[in-house]
Amino acid sequence: MKKNWKLPMTFVMFMIGVLLASALISLGSDKEPPSKSRSDTLISMIEAQEKERQELTETIMAKREELEQFKLGVTGGEKEMEALQYELDRLHTLSGISEVVGQGISITLDDNTKGYEVAKGKNQEQVKPDDYLIHDRHLLYIVYDLRAAGAEAISINGERVINSTDIRCAGTTIGVDNITIGPPFVIKAIGDPDKMTNILEEETSQYNILVKADFPVKLKKHSKVNIEAYKGGYQFSYAQPKEEQ
Amino acid sequence: MWVPILGLIIGLLIGSVIAIPIPASLAKYLSIAVLAALDSAFGGIRAIFDDTFDATILLSGFFTNTLIAALLAYLGDQLGVDIYMAAVFAFGVRLFQNLAIIRRYGILKWKNRRENAKIKRDQGE
Repeated sequence: MKKNWKLPMTFVMFMIGVLLASALISLGSDKEPPSKSRSDTLISMIEAQEKERQELTETIMAKREELEQFKLGVTGGEKEMEALQYELDRLHTLSGISEVVGQGISITLDDNTKGYEVAKGKNQEQVKPDDYLIHDRHLLYIVYDLRAAGAEAISINGERVINSTDIRCAGTTIGVDNITIGPPFVIKAIGDPDKMTNILEEETSQYNILVKADFPVKLKKHSKVNIEAYKGGYQFSYAQPKEEQ
Repeated sequence: MWVPILGLIIGLLIGSVIAIPIPASLAKYLSIAVLAALDSAFGGIRAIFDDTFDATILLSGFFTNTLIAALLAYLGDQLGVDIYMAAVFAFGVRLFQNLAIIRRYGILKWKNRRENAKIKRDQGE
């Protein structure tokens, strides 16, 4: 065995020690922050997006008001414009961009957490938590029932439902025109209260199914229901009125 | 025998005391460098047992392996090829081979010593 191996080996081992220590320290100190900062950036991104949407909504409302002012300026004093103004108001009401008041009903829907707890206590394996939640389709069916009963204005948790409104599942929440809402859901509708109640309480209607499944749901008739204006924008990029020939 | 181990311990201590701050993006390459250095060290130990130890080979191997391994891993990341994995594989395989040979030598040496002691004892009686 050669004698001169001690010094080089010691040097190599020393270098390994330095490298290993710095590698371990840098890995150890950097392990925690990335995941935390990642979720932080995601949260701030979501917050920024929400703020932006809020600002855009406000811009739409402001622009709409501005437009109204212009129209008032145009129609002021001119009698032939009055008919047009009336028509415009009527269209506003129909399209949902004005706040409306009238008699109607309100429906409150909530997740059946009590039923879920009881069922879980009895039979743990076969219980699906999904079966005890209010889903997007419940809201959709109820909205359609209301429309069938002649509801003239509908809102869910303050979000006006217009002809292009989408109601979709958004993870643990439901998106109404991409605005996320959660339980309890309050659906307000203006129309004939008796007619709407009758259709909702029909044997096969979604509302009645929820009642039978012991969901905490409530239906109330009101002599005055206030329904908010539609806050979003309209986008018609593809459809155009057909030219008359 | 104990001097290199002492060197390792002193290296660890100094490394943790000065604690060079390395960005997380480079820590990966440092790990590869550590692996290459370990490979060199085990290769050196094996060479001592093989009686083929050469300080120049050990030191040149140590420096080129650590630097080139880290550089190649970096280059691979830039190119989108996992050369990193190739380095881990190559060094890992050699490391374990050397470790097995060192273990065999160690056991052989230990057995020889025991046998010699036995012979001595027998002769002594």
